[in-house]
Amino acid sequence: MNIVSLILTISGLIFFFGGAIGIIRLPDFYTRLHAAGKLDTAGLLLTMSGLAVYTVSELSLGSLFTAAKIMFIVMLIFITSPTATHAIIDAGFIAGLKPWTKQDQITARESEPTDSQEE
Amino acid sequence: MKKTGLIMVIVTGILLIAGTTEFPDWADPNSPASSHVSPYYILKAIDDTAVPNVVSAVLADYRGYDTMFETAVIFAAGLACFFLLRQFNRKRAKTKMYRHVPTGIIIDIDEGGKLPEENSNFERIDSQWTPYDLIIKTTCRIIIPFIQVFALYVIIHGHHSPGGGFQGGVILGATIILFAISHDLRTTIKRLSEKMASVFSSMGVFLFAATGMLCLLLGSVYLDYSALSDLLGTDPVMARSHGILIIEIGVGLSVMAVMIWLYYNLSSAGKHNEGL
Repeated sequence: MNIVSLILTISGLIFFFGGAIGIIRLPDFYTRLHAAGKLDTAGLLLTMSGLAVYTVSELSLGSLFTAAKIMFIVMLIFITSPTATHAIIDAGFIAGLKPWTKQDQITARESEPTDSQEE
Repeated sequence: MKKTGLIMVIVTGILLIAGTTEFPDWADPNSPASSHVSPYYILKAIDDTAVPNVVSAVLADYRGYDTMFETAVIFAAGLACFFLLRQFNRKRAKTKMYRHVPTGIIIDIDEGGKLPEENSNFERIDSQWTPYDLIIKTTCRIIIPFIQVFALYVIIHGHHSPGGGFQGGVILGATIILFAISHDLRTTIKRLSEKMASVFSSMGVFLFAATGMLCLLLGSVYLDYSALSDLLGTDPVMARSHGILIIEIGVGLSVMAVMIWLYYNLSSAGKHNEGL
């Protein structure tokens, strides 16, 4: 049981790690939010499931209730977090923000050659 | 008038800052608050009020007078926003915009023109129209009842767990604001009008003050809930617990309504016709 919870938590942490790197490294608004959405939803689902499994390892009525509460939180996040990401991206799209393309990077490099070292 | 106000603000500020020099030092163990008040609260709160959460007991019972005026300040904030921002019948938009739902055609109807019927294929839209979003609307419709139940739990369970009127009221107000964001301001005002918000906000403060007054009339000190024991049919200790619950409900009602009222005024710049 502990091994299952360990695997779940660690795979959740991998998602968190990837999401955090994505928020910092990705080039524009849409792609960053894409990473943030993964981080919230999948990372939280896996880590919280890991915690729930760990709680149930000592089987009693109380621990079952705790696990059910944790899963309820997961369900709530699972509904709301993608909706929030969707709403923010939709707002950006309506406001007229253009998605990033490879061409943007090329033109940015041509206009400001000093920037290319950072990329 | 502006200069008078400025002078008043500066003088009050100087007096307040001068007053702080008389305070005991930070974390001074010999200060009155640390030497006898806090230990009394921590040791006696459960015996006095039957409320396990000491914070609730201090906030709503021992220092109930303070909390009453905090609620009044929140109410005053709502009122101030109303008086500063609200505009009645000034520069009403001449045309109303309607959108034909099946085809997406938008028509402007001039003042005095024939308006479409309520349940026809037309919907009234704002001048800055954001497209209908099924995902957001559906999610908010599913989530809002759960949040509201949670908010009521926070208010009612404030005795036993972290929570209480202020927190629960804010959550409850946030659900209505969430509804206004996911749909539009007009729909929300149709559900919970400005009048309702103002009545609720004053009613919350009134409930608080009236509970205190009732204690006074029953022959005790203002806001001493143990006087309510005969009315509630319980012993004085439980009566204090129930009294805390009553005023927490009052605080929650007031905070919720003021949140909504502020949102209505701020999001539409006081016009209440179209907003976020």
